[in-house]
Amino acid sequence: MANRSMTSHLAGHEAARGETPPDVRFIRVPSIAERKLGADYVAPIRLDPRVLDQMQSTIRTLETKYAEALSAQISMLQLLVEPSAKGDSEARSRLYSLSHDMRGLAGTFGFPLVGRFADSLCRYIENCHEEDWRDGSVLRFHVDAIRDAVDNPGTDPAITMETLNALERLIAATRGNRKMAG
Amino acid sequence: MTESVFGKISVLVVDDSAYMRHLLLTLLQALGVNEIHLAINGEEAWELLNSKEPDIVITDAAMVPGDGFMFAKRLRSLRGRALGMIPIIMVSGHTDLESVERARDIGITEFLSKPISARGLYERLIQVIDRPRTFVETPTYRGPDRRRRDTPFEGTDRRGSIALL
Repeated sequence: MANRSMTSHLAGHEAARGETPPDVRFIRVPSIAERKLGADYVAPIRLDPRVLDQMQSTIRTLETKYAEALSAQISMLQLLVEPSAKGDSEARSRLYSLSHDMRGLAGTFGFPLVGRFADSLCRYIENCHEEDWRDGSVLRFHVDAIRDAVDNPGTDPAITMETLNALERLIAATRGNRKMAG
Repeated sequence: MTESVFGKISVLVVDDSAYMRHLLLTLLQALGVNEIHLAINGEEAWELLNSKEPDIVITDAAMVPGDGFMFAKRLRSLRGRALGMIPIIMVSGHTDLESVERARDIGITEFLSKPISARGLYERLIQVIDRPRTFVETPTYRGPDRRRRDTPFEGTDRRGSIALL
């Protein structure tokens, strides 16, 4: 490892005056491309539209399979709400795991609204208290909204936004009531 | 050229979702990556990291046992080994500022928010393969330089001396 000085234009006088303290090291790491390609390396590597097309077509081929899986997952969500409300910890964990999957994947496969509702559901569960689980109504509304987003993909975005806002208001009201009761 | 680079790298994918692992696997294959290792959590990833020594890690944030943050922190703690400096791309549905800053402060190289797109993944891979950032070691931080912009700032510039790996 060789040390070398490098003129910095980042901090003017400070750079000229300051020396690197012994407990701070800056290491220049060679690029992976340079290391792997050796003499064949030509910088910079740019995004190749043909490769991008290939990747996007890969996603399209997975879409049909995902749509089928999504439908089954939503049915499972609907089944899990009741046992979750009754205290079944395995059902709760499964419900979160399915929502988490939807949050991460639905948008990639052409179901952005499902992703948004699943995101809202995940955030709700992440801060869920026992009373919220027992009540179950916010969970049910979310699952219904997810089902609706799949069954009616052409829904007016304004309605979707209003549904999301309504869910947010419902969450706030539920938590507000709990605070007052507590 | 691009294909030949991707054909020569190895990638470790860590995600507890089977769907996400499958999606990342097929996207990487479409890019031409031949050597892909899959792990379902941070613990399994640690084993694979040490046995396969991949060039790049793509990890989810929320996993049990051993989430992506813990795994990345452990990886960055490998001092004296080039493996401790490999690029980490974190894929996460938690896109709030706090999560992104947490990822940055444990030494994540790139952050990719879910839902992912082919372009987003491709661009970040090019970034880490071809445009590496200077690696910084301090008593409290080990990871790529967190300053991405050449803008003036208050205080001492300690980037005057750079070691070459």
